[in-house]
Amino acid sequence: MSKDIAAPQPSRLSLFWHKWRFHLNVLLLLIPLGFMPKYFADEALMRGDSGLGEREVGEVRIGPWSLRLAELRNSAPMLEGPAGYMKGFNAALCEACIDQVKATYLRIGKPRSLRAAGVIFFGTPYRMGASLPVPEKTRADAELWITMEGWDGAMHQASIPLSQASPATIAWLNKQGGKP
Amino acid sequence: MINPLRPLNAMLLVLCAGFSASALAHNPMCECKAIDAEQIKCTGGFSDGSGAPGVTLDVIGYDETILVPGKLGPDSTLTFKKPGAEFYVLFDAGPGHVVEIDQADIEAP
Repeated sequence: MSKDIAAPQPSRLSLFWHKWRFHLNVLLLLIPLGFMPKYFADEALMRGDSGLGEREVGEVRIGPWSLRLAELRNSAPMLEGPAGYMKGFNAALCEACIDQVKATYLRIGKPRSLRAAGVIFFGTPYRMGASLPVPEKTRADAELWITMEGWDGAMHQASIPLSQASPATIAWLNKQGGKP
Repeated sequence: MINPLRPLNAMLLVLCAGFSASALAHNPMCECKAIDAEQIKCTGGFSDGSGAPGVTLDVIGYDETILVPGKLGPDSTLTFKKPGAEFYVLFDAGPGHVVEIDQADIEAP
């Protein structure tokens, strides 16, 4: 009695795979290349090679000091979990004030006190970063307040219109309508 | 012979890749609610889900006097009597890590 069993016919999928597997793997290697420009642009932005941020706001005078302010991204605030919408700003202190300034804060609306001056900028004075919470009920005519505290205890404040600091944020606020 | 550890390693690699990019910021958060006509309960925490036991929470008058100096309990909450004067609540987890809640933004019971 013969024990020969006919070899099972390979499935179409198997045939396809065996014919094209080399090309498919080359394709897999090529896909990341498409993301390279964005990757290198992001790297340059984070390293500071492409400037302080995506959009420079300009020099802001705060009493005897000044800083250069920029939006990290020229876009609307991003929802960062349960803490709400956040907008990233970068800043560089003026050369002369680097030794004098202890802390720099950012807030929408005038701070009630130094304790409540808003979010703090962290990082090197040549490139500091802060993540500013933007409440959904923020008015389009709101002001962005910068508070600087010196090592000698001095405090200086200045404000610029939010529309000047971040037109993308104003567009976002207008688009979603004034929340109560 | 197929190494039985291989699927496990592959799974681990996928999990590692999936969780690697999520650098979590932890912004301070605070929520206050009136639990009855007299009492207000505030809960503090951070956006990464951690609580804030022992963190300072002050109730401050519009004239900047501290009406209720407090610290959050082990359950990250503090209940205080509603002050007679106009006030705001300041959750203070350190310089630049504060949340301000105006009395107008406190939900009624």
